[in-house]
Amino acid sequence: MASLTESQKRGALTHPDVSHYSEVNRDVLAMLSTPGKGWWALFGIAVLGVGLFFGSWFYQIYRGIGVSGLTSPVGWGAYITTFVFWVGIAHSGTLISAILFLFRAPWRQSVYRAAEAMTVFAVMTAGLFPLIHVGRVWNAYWLIPYPNQRFLWPNFRSPLVWDVFAVTTYFTVSAVFFYLGTIPDVAAARDQATGLRKKLYSFLAMGWQGTDREWHHFGKAYIFLAALATPLVLSVHSVVSWDFAVGIVPGWHATVFAPYFVAGAIFSGVAMVITLAVPLRKVFGLEAYLTTKHFDALAKLVLLTSLIVFYAYLTEFFMAWYSGEPPERQVFWNRLFGHYWWATWIMLVCNGMIPIMLWFKRVRHSIPALFVISIFINIGMWFERYVIIVTSLSHEYEPFAWGVYRPSMVEMGILIGSFCWFGFWFLLFTRLLPPVAIAELKEVLPAPRRGKKAQEVEA
Amino acid sequence: MDCQYCHFSAERSVDAGIPPVSTCMGCHLMIPGENQPEEITKVREYWNDREPIPWVRIHKVADHVHFPHMRHINAGMQCQECHGEIQEIGVLEEPEPTWGKGKMGWCVSCHVERDVRRDCTVCHY
Amino acid sequence: MSDGIKRRDFLKVLGISGAGAGLTGCSTEDVEKLIPYVVPPEDITPGVATWYTTVCQECAAECGMWVRTREGRAVKVEGNPSHAVSGGALCARGHSSIQGLYNPDRFTGPMRRENGALVPMTWDEAEAMLAERIQGAAGNVLLLTGQLGPTESDLFSRFLSATGGRHVEHDGLADAPLREATRIAFGRDVVPAYDFESAGMVVSFGADFLETWISPVEYGRGFARSSGEDHGSKGKFVFIGPRLSLTGQNADEWIPIPTGSEAAVALGMASHIASRGADAGPYSSVLAEYTPESAAAAAGLEANTIRDLAEAFAAATSVAVGPGQAGHHRGATAANVAVHILNAVAGNIGSTVHLTSPVQSSSSRPYGEMQVAIRAMAGGDVGVVMVRGTNPAYSLPGSSGFSEAFSEVPFKVSFASEPDETTAMADLVLPDRHFLESWGDSSPRPGVFAVQQPVMQAVPHFDTRQTGDVLLNVAARVGNALGPASTFEHVRSRWQDLHARSGSGLDFEAWWKTALKTGSVTVGAPGRQEAVALRAPDMALAFDPPSLAGEGDFTLLVYPSSRLADGRHANRPWMQELPDPISKLTWHSWVEMHPAAAEAHGLRRGDVVTVSSPEGQVTLPLFTYPGIREDAVAIAMGGGRNESGRYASGNGVNPMNLLPAVVEQPSGTLALVSTRVSVAATGERYRMATIEGSDDQSERNIAPAVALAALGHAAEEDHSEDEGHHGLQEMNLMGGFAPVETEGEAQDFPLPGSQYGEYGREGTPRWAMAIDLDKCTGCSACVVACQSENNVPFVGEQQVAMGRDHSWIRIERYYEQVDASHAGPVDVRHLPMLCQHCGNAPCEPVCPVFAAYHTPDGLNAQVYNRCVGTRYCANNCPYKVRVYNWYTYTDVPEPLQWSYNPDVTIRNTGVMEKCSFCVHRIREVQNRAALEGGRGVHEGEVTPACQQSCPAEAIVFGNIRDPESRVAEKAHNERTYKVLDELINTQPAVHYLKKVTFHEVESGGH
Repeated sequence: MASLTESQKRGALTHPDVSHYSEVNRDVLAMLSTPGKGWWALFGIAVLGVGLFFGSWFYQIYRGIGVSGLTSPVGWGAYITTFVFWVGIAHSGTLISAILFLFRAPWRQSVYRAAEAMTVFAVMTAGLFPLIHVGRVWNAYWLIPYPNQRFLWPNFRSPLVWDVFAVTTYFTVSAVFFYLGTIPDVAAARDQATGLRKKLYSFLAMGWQGTDREWHHFGKAYIFLAALATPLVLSVHSVVSWDFAVGIVPGWHATVFAPYFVAGAIFSGVAMVITLAVPLRKVFGLEAYLTTKHFDALAKLVLLTSLIVFYAYLTEFFMAWYSGEPPERQVFWNRLFGHYWWATWIMLVCNGMIPIMLWFKRVRHSIPALFVISIFINIGMWFERYVIIVTSLSHEYEPFAWGVYRPSMVEMGILIGSFCWFGFWFLLFTRLLPPVAIAELKEVLPAPRRGKKAQEVEA
Repeated sequence: MDCQYCHFSAERSVDAGIPPVSTCMGCHLMIPGENQPEEITKVREYWNDREPIPWVRIHKVADHVHFPHMRHINAGMQCQECHGEIQEIGVLEEPEPTWGKGKMGWCVSCHVERDVRRDCTVCHY
Repeated sequence: MSDGIKRRDFLKVLGISGAGAGLTGCSTEDVEKLIPYVVPPEDITPGVATWYTTVCQECAAECGMWVRTREGRAVKVEGNPSHAVSGGALCARGHSSIQGLYNPDRFTGPMRRENGALVPMTWDEAEAMLAERIQGAAGNVLLLTGQLGPTESDLFSRFLSATGGRHVEHDGLADAPLREATRIAFGRDVVPAYDFESAGMVVSFGADFLETWISPVEYGRGFARSSGEDHGSKGKFVFIGPRLSLTGQNADEWIPIPTGSEAAVALGMASHIASRGADAGPYSSVLAEYTPESAAAAAGLEANTIRDLAEAFAAATSVAVGPGQAGHHRGATAANVAVHILNAVAGNIGSTVHLTSPVQSSSSRPYGEMQVAIRAMAGGDVGVVMVRGTNPAYSLPGSSGFSEAFSEVPFKVSFASEPDETTAMADLVLPDRHFLESWGDSSPRPGVFAVQQPVMQAVPHFDTRQTGDVLLNVAARVGNALGPASTFEHVRSRWQDLHARSGSGLDFEAWWKTALKTGSVTVGAPGRQEAVALRAPDMALAFDPPSLAGEGDFTLLVYPSSRLADGRHANRPWMQELPDPISKLTWHSWVEMHPAAAEAHGLRRGDVVTVSSPEGQVTLPLFTYPGIREDAVAIAMGGGRNESGRYASGNGVNPMNLLPAVVEQPSGTLALVSTRVSVAATGERYRMATIEGSDDQSERNIAPAVALAALGHAAEEDHSEDEGHHGLQEMNLMGGFAPVETEGEAQDFPLPGSQYGEYGREGTPRWAMAIDLDKCTGCSACVVACQSENNVPFVGEQQVAMGRDHSWIRIERYYEQVDASHAGPVDVRHLPMLCQHCGNAPCEPVCPVFAAYHTPDGLNAQVYNRCVGTRYCANNCPYKVRVYNWYTYTDVPEPLQWSYNPDVTIRNTGVMEKCSFCVHRIREVQNRAALEGGRGVHEGEVTPACQQSCPAEAIVFGNIRDPESRVAEKAHNERTYKVLDELINTQPAVHYLKKVTFHEVESGGH
């Protein structure tokens, strides 16, 4: 009996039903084989949605931003809401892959690949929304600092310029991190694949042979990137929150925003991981790799962040009352009982009340329950941003200029389309790259057993 | 011959002004003889049938730029500093490329050189 | 103005290249042809504005105008400072005349109707046709016109005497009862001139002298001067009537009496004054009858209310006016007589009420004449009817039978220049010139004469001819020519006589030129006022409240709209989109009802209701308004123009269709308040196109006021300032936040530490503005002036309903105290909200591309061509004065874009814009100063459009760094405050002076 390492022991606990490396290769790479009807159906829907997405966007560019429901005083609406939503989604990926990697949390192995992919695609989606939102998208490049004959530079005091940096940086790092992590598995896939796929994987694998030397560098690089990505989890969403906190709009101008947004981001992100992992597990029969233990851990993370977020809500309301400024107070009164009361209550119930159920182990261990709850949380978090942006703007300092914003069909189309755009990439990912990290999974499995039994298994 | 003989309002208006036919005829009536270059006969025809000359615009700043000619003329600038050696150029059917002149950076650098106001609303409003 | 055709070509190019392209960026690719003159007109320099004087013809008041033309193209109208009536200002409707001139719906040329459709023809054919028909009519010619100038009315009457026929004048805004009452009471058949300026107390019995009554601009100025606080004193204004019009909202006290009891109240006051020994002449017996008690009973008031009012009225230099058009009920003449009596016993005749120098430029011809004409037409006694400058088919109630009678006439001619309801029935359309394209004159006051001269060649898109010229040609054709064949000649010949009388040393040409330059001359003005006394009435007068037709539980109040008047301005997008000063609604009609009454009927604001009278019914949305009695509903004229152009047709309803054609006796005017109506819900809702978010200040110091009594005690003032933060002070003890201290005054900009580069230069000005809210009446003239000056587009009803109203100035209207249940103080706050040009502007740091930034001379600039359209600046603007181009609103149909100001960039889609303090005007003055030997800019030399047009003289603009400037002086007035400054430290450049009330106000103004 070979003695097991610490992590292997824990790994064995999280993956009791996986007993052999070869099973991992077989099961995981099985996903990359020809897709079933279900996949094609989903992919078809996604493609249609992407059509809707760009169709609506080009229509808006052609007719003018007026086709949205945006108006005065509510100059930001569904677009910025969705932007913040997707940036938030992105965060859990990095959290799970980088931070939990540094903390050596063994249960992350089987989910982090999916989570990382989610990060990359979510940022790809989010990054489009500032472009969709501006009135003259053909001039949007002016936000990028570049030397020009006009002697003009962007205004570095503007949070929107910080955003450009934050989002682009985040995309670059998470993309590289994601790609690096896949290399050994791509190599594994390459060794099984044939034809065009083989070419593709050979290219992506960059001639990976799995030598000790390669593994050594790989490990180093991975740690460095993890360390590099970690602060981004905090910084990026703080910057996004400053888009609001820097403004003097009552309901935006609060110091709590940065931590509040980061917590919210992780909250929504982890929820989204659950939403994606459950079907993934079902469709590809990964029950052995994504066990209730994983979901239990994710659920705990959700519960924690939910509490932080709810605390932030209470802080906001308290500070509004404590500030004593009529505009501040009335904005928050208006949130609860004003024109947008329904949005606020959706937010409070979905993000504050429903997650309370996660205190119960039975709920945490029921996959369907988790799935439903995670969906509610996704909805709730979208409305959180909607409430922050729309209710504050609609009820500002100048009572005579108060107004109401109704999202238009075009905005709805782009919102729905963005989910399809995301799904489109994610579905491709499940086909082209191992959604579960083979190599890292093996690290935490018991080493191959010698002897008769083993041979039988291997045969 | 002075540019402002024809572009009559350059020193007192934002527009330099486009010469009316009467201005041309001011001289060309004085020049007798039938064998005139064909450009001149054209001008005479316009004059005779009381038609304005459809001049071709070769210098144009964008509509969101306000360029007050008189401020520059009265600051002692020469037309050529912006318009190039325009007197050397013969007939132009097409708008000429302005050799990077008329671009904002070029305006700004001149304003910087002469240390005159250069905040945006000097030209853009 | 020679070589028209050439100029038009030239203009076309400038019209398009100057105003069409907008933010298309630098492009030298497209070949563009420039069309100059053949022979240049001496008075035009390209790029330099030329100004012409003329006379506004939008209403009977005939204000003197200055018209700004560029390259021979009228781009803006302004008041003529040297004119007796306008005194430099202009009303919103006056400003809109530019859109009348360039209206895309104008007729393109003479047309005749062939089986229903209008077919073009030449002027020659048209005149021949008319001449022939007139000969055929054998003297039965009927000419219907609106208000006419002296020369024209003379011309027309001579025409009619030549061809035989009758002339009837009809004006929807005419105030015949006033004129008739003046004849009865004083034996003078005139419309008196009222001197509001020197009146210490104004009492209006429903006369809307700030909106539509006689001479709004002149009276608005006078009223503002009288009621505006100055050195601790201000005139008082009491409004007596069933509904608060805009005029009423400017009152200090409101006595909401039922319609028809004006006479009783006026007489009650008069009799109280008379009982103190004033002489009521032949009316003593009447006054003995109408004691304050009986009056109180009639009006449902306390007798003491009337007594106190009467005493205050007698004590002060006072003036009483009314009831005005909105009060034209069956007893209107009697009510006017009663008001005259009141003025007489209070000794106002000759001091504030002038009968010997009356208002000549006011339409006061009764509907009675029209009634006769209608009978004649119906009876087939009219062979040819010609309509000019009036639209009876719309502005008369259907029950008057005008349309039926009109269609009886075999040959109907219309001189209308754009489609209207009457023209829709005409057989021949001979489009008249717009008044900015034609000759005429006016004599608003005895001895005051003004020339109405064309300010540009006729707009080339429309082949029009001045009606006077047409009639002259026709007269010549029918064989009795009336002298020279152009109105111009006739105007000149009249003025030659005038010149002879003037005794001026100048020869005629010189005198004529000065007349054209200055816009008006004075010839033989009456000397000192002769005393005029009351005389016995030559007929029996019934002072009792008149009866109303119909059942219903509401009295229907139909009043002239302050935007559309009687509907004549309805096809002008600026007027349609100008928020009504009362309801803040645009484009569509509404019915006003008191909130309590609405609740009783289970109605909410925005419900679509059916208002029905015995004569008919209309369906329109409901607007709840605390400024109207619970037993009345009100609908403005001007909606429901169904045969008009693209901007008017289909918007709103025409309340005239609810009215019986009741003729008020003895003046013979059409009674506008004569029926009761019932209101029923339809169950539908209407998304109203309003700019109003909330009419409550919600505990903010947006538009505070100060009681007159509290003025002069600066110490207490400061104390009361803090009370806005009282709650905060308490919380400081608990470790809460203290209010932000303002770090700098406007003149301190840029703040220490930010004075780099150009920002540190010596002697750069800091442009600032001061707005006196005690003078501002909310008339909205500035709003339209700004639109006209800055190429601010109109966006249409659907966009406004979404909240995308686009104007750079928003007149905010907050109710503090409006109560229709009893007599008492009224307190409505009007606040023109425009970009505050903050020294510490929240919009600037958040713009990612420096499109919003601060200029060294303290302007908060918006660089359109740099704007990317993130809208962060608008979100972060606490005043919400930034407006966004959601679409390209500036593509307007030909030739409307001719009205664009070539000095201001046209904005396209996706660009943020806002008030620029008329930066182009500042630059223009700076350029001029530089040309004049680099002199500095004088105080008062730069005038933004809003200040220029303000009839109330409420706005002051200038360099606040110059301690001598008026704006600097205003900035240190004890009433001065800056909106929201103490809350968010924006350090605005716009200083407001608090409204002053006679009643006590909570500090902070709420």
